[in-house]
Amino acid sequence: MTGSFRHLRPVLAFFLLERRGALLGGALLAAVTVLAGVALLGLSGWFITATAIAGLSSATALAFDVFAPSAGIRLLALGRTASRYGERLVTHDATLRLLAGLRERLFRGWAGPGAARLLLLRPARLLFRLTADIDALDSLYLRVLVPMAAALVTAFVVVLTLVPLHPALGLGAGAWLLLAGIGLPVLGALLASNPARRRAHANEALRARAIDLVAGQTDLVMAGRLQAQGAAIAAADLRQAASDDALNRIETGIGIGFGLASALLLSGTLLAVAALAEAGLIGTPVAALGVLIALAALEPFAALRRGALELGRTLLAARRIGPRLAPAETAPTVVRPAEPLLAVRLSRVAVRHDGAGLPALAELSLSLRLGEVVAVVGPSGAGKSTLLSLIAGEIAPDQGHVEALPATLLTQRTELFQDSLRDNLRLADPAADDGRLLAALASAGLRGDVEALPEGLDARLGENALGLSGGQARRLTLARLILRDTPLWLLDEPTEGLDGATARDVMARLTACGEGRCVVIATHVRREAQAADRIVVMERGHVVSVARRGEAAFKAALAALRPD
Amino acid sequence: MMPGVASASVPAAAERPDRAAMLLQVAGALLWLPQAGLIAFVIGRLADGGGIGDALLPAAGVLMLGVARSAFEAVGARKAFLAARASLSLRRQEAVAALAAGSPLDRARPASGLAASVVTEQAEALVPYLARFRPARFKATVVPLAILCAVAPLSWVAALVLLLAGPLIPVFMALIGWRAKAASEAQLAETGSLNAFLLDRLRGLATIRALDAVDATALRLRANADDLRARTMAVLRIAFLSSAVLELFSALGVAMVAVYVGFHLLDALPFGAWGERLSLSQGLFVLLLAPAFFEPLRELSSVWHDRASGQAAISALDGLSRGGLALVGGAGADGAAAVAEGGAVDLRIERLSFGHAGSDEAVLDGFNLKVAAGEHVALLGPSGSGKSTLLALVAGPAPADGGEIVVGGTRLDPASAASLRRRIAWIGQRPHLFAGTLAGNVALGREGLRADAVAHALRLASLDALAGARPDASIGEGGAGLSGGEGLRLALARGAANPHAGLILADEPTAHLDAATAREITERLLAFAAGRTLLVATHDPVLAACMHRVIRLDPERLEGAA
Repeated sequence: MTGSFRHLRPVLAFFLLERRGALLGGALLAAVTVLAGVALLGLSGWFITATAIAGLSSATALAFDVFAPSAGIRLLALGRTASRYGERLVTHDATLRLLAGLRERLFRGWAGPGAARLLLLRPARLLFRLTADIDALDSLYLRVLVPMAAALVTAFVVVLTLVPLHPALGLGAGAWLLLAGIGLPVLGALLASNPARRRAHANEALRARAIDLVAGQTDLVMAGRLQAQGAAIAAADLRQAASDDALNRIETGIGIGFGLASALLLSGTLLAVAALAEAGLIGTPVAALGVLIALAALEPFAALRRGALELGRTLLAARRIGPRLAPAETAPTVVRPAEPLLAVRLSRVAVRHDGAGLPALAELSLSLRLGEVVAVVGPSGAGKSTLLSLIAGEIAPDQGHVEALPATLLTQRTELFQDSLRDNLRLADPAADDGRLLAALASAGLRGDVEALPEGLDARLGENALGLSGGQARRLTLARLILRDTPLWLLDEPTEGLDGATARDVMARLTACGEGRCVVIATHVRREAQAADRIVVMERGHVVSVARRGEAAFKAALAALRPD
Repeated sequence: MMPGVASASVPAAAERPDRAAMLLQVAGALLWLPQAGLIAFVIGRLADGGGIGDALLPAAGVLMLGVARSAFEAVGARKAFLAARASLSLRRQEAVAALAAGSPLDRARPASGLAASVVTEQAEALVPYLARFRPARFKATVVPLAILCAVAPLSWVAALVLLLAGPLIPVFMALIGWRAKAASEAQLAETGSLNAFLLDRLRGLATIRALDAVDATALRLRANADDLRARTMAVLRIAFLSSAVLELFSALGVAMVAVYVGFHLLDALPFGAWGERLSLSQGLFVLLLAPAFFEPLRELSSVWHDRASGQAAISALDGLSRGGLALVGGAGADGAAAVAEGGAVDLRIERLSFGHAGSDEAVLDGFNLKVAAGEHVALLGPSGSGKSTLLALVAGPAPADGGEIVVGGTRLDPASAASLRRRIAWIGQRPHLFAGTLAGNVALGREGLRADAVAHALRLASLDALAGARPDASIGEGGAGLSGGEGLRLALARGAANPHAGLILADEPTAHLDAATAREITERLLAFAAGRTLLVATHDPVLAACMHRVIRLDPERLEGAA
């Protein structure tokens, strides 16, 4: 467990870098709030006791200065309210700011080429974990750091107040506060770290099985396994309940511990001030002050209870998120070809994916010129997508040289985001005005559809671009491509999933807008390859043949592809 | 959340608060009274010149009472937790049962991610609501009254001070509750939408990278988060202000009691103690009780947001349980008794109708079809012509609005659905990948399915090499582990693993494949279909040409096919 604390370091460093002032301010205000509460009770006790003694004779009663202490009491009452209000505002503002910064930083961290590939490989669980982890880090500041600071400051002030009564009393109470106040939460955190981790895993199992039930319902029904899946979900819930129970036991245990420590401190202080008063070392009012301070001293430590229990989960989150907080990796830089009309030149490149036996690309050399449309065909796994990623600079070759002009890669699954139509388009060109956006939509054959919408460009797209047909969604990505205006377009199965008529229209518009550029299309459908000037046939990472339009091999390559 | 929704939801029997748990917690809180009395007594004795001798017994009493107090509170909290956790499990089971019994064709049903979030994360809010909020509310109604009863006989002025601060508090509580609820809902919604934004953009990271928009998106994310922060803080500023009023009243209550008692002891305010003068012990006792009077109210306000999220969880779970289109036969029986011998079965569909709820246009209207045993039939038609729906109606994941389906002489109805399904092999277009191995994904845990049947199915679908290469590798998590062709092979293997199947329903088994793979899948499907009845929905002319009979479906409406 102590070893895993080092995972907190990047997170804490990020917190401090981001909002040092607000974090410290929040902790300070929390401490002031707690102290004002302790002082209010202590001063009140002192005041009542002192007035009771002074009130025994009318002479002392008249001489007693009532105004300073009663003003102090009122001041503390008001001050406590004000600092509490300030604390809550400052800490919540700081937390929200931290979360904003954290999300931005994490996004940038995941947007590096290597991390992005990892994310694509195992999307669902990783993505879910990510938000759960961000939320778990949330508790680090609010539930651990702030109460810890408030508790430590309180312990320090309690010692300062009690030492003048008697050094042994002050130091003893201080030692007890630290021992019980810090020891119990640390013990709780240690005990809770395993159940907290088990709970996080049970949670993921529960979630995954619930998704399986809904998304895989047809498969389950047809296999007669629907009830069994329900039982599997119940089993995951049972596992979660068991770790919940373990955590609750620990929480209750810490609660009992605090109760006992507090009772011991109170009765111990009671005995100590009685002995000191008997010896004439302190007066009764001071004795009352001491007891009342002891009464309130452990309260701020009890606030650490929840943070301690969540610490295991927080550490898990820190371990997983920490690496992504480092400055983002940089994409491999692609060298521009020296010759003027050359768009791409690959010389003897090889790419091997991690853990794969065979190289994805081997000994591959290829030159593409501006103004030509090239279709890359071959069976699944031939290396078509790898070739596009390599040209786009998404991956670096293990061997050989890559020269390419700036490219836009349209992947198989091109996403539209939950955002307005305008902002979805502007991703491609942040500076574009509505005129330019509408022109691009017109070239993509979507302008009429957009203008028919009541909200026009302000229309919002839902999850998986709900509300748009497959053809409209593809036209929208085409419009984005047009807005990008790079000399090199790399398209992976651009009409996949479209019906024949729409597909042919999209292809016609693509080639029209791609005039003057180099357009590379990876495909296994005839209608996409038909527009090509050259067809590159790939197999197992090698280029098997390159055929130019008009050659017999070109026709043969086309004929081998699927019809609509 | 709409205000009416929460109040309309009546807690189930299991969610009734555990009386014993709440009484124990109240008893624990009330033990402070004797503790405070002992402390006040000792200080009083000290003022009268007493010493450690007078403090020994009371100090022991304070300790014992403290032990009893934490024990009471701990036992009460445990009981409350256990009851709350049990009702969470119960609620989850109900929601899962309802999800399982619903039809996958129901358009109104929640997406898998949303349903999983409700069942997994949102439902958890039930526990703090039941285990923390309810006891806190009970404490806040009982404990202050008890303390008032203890203070009043000593000093009516002190009691009046508390009473004046006290009744004002419910007014503010209502205010706070209202505001805090708005605040917590606002905040929940805001963080939720922030997370959704982040997830949405991470899901499309490849696109963002391709468009070179990483920086712009990161800045936009930051701007959104800052904007949400500003709006959340505006709400919180008011919400905190009203809880600050509670703080203020409780602090001022304590201060006023302290100042009054002090002045009273100085004889400056000689009234208020029923004609007598308070002793120091009595004064201190009253002072010690003052913060305890306000404590339950402050505790309640600190758990107030548990109420809003707990009630939201209850209504979300209720929403999942709301019945829509139901599965034929429900989720009740998984596998009926053992099926008789395999072999081809015939299929007869008469006057079949189906339309989606809320849509006027029927997908199927009076559709008739007869398929002889062992016959291979293609349903050819563009997407949206109702091919997939027809297959789903035959297999029973959705109930038809009218008409009759007879498989092998047995009419499909809720009673026969489960056993009929054992005679049907289903080859879906997009098979769901479960977390687990490839072989496990073929077997799906079906009872009585022998390992050699799974191996045979893997071989038939040409997946044996892949399964053999990585026998223990997990392929789940949204299908990153399998290509499109492999996914369709898996669907084929899943169907082929059922040796009793007499009827095969295949939905677009060659969609989105390259020519070579499509040809191979077609061959494999035909091999499996030999000696069985096959109904395949497709728009692949090559596949359709391999069937005995082709039925072209009118894109407008399916009617009266022969």
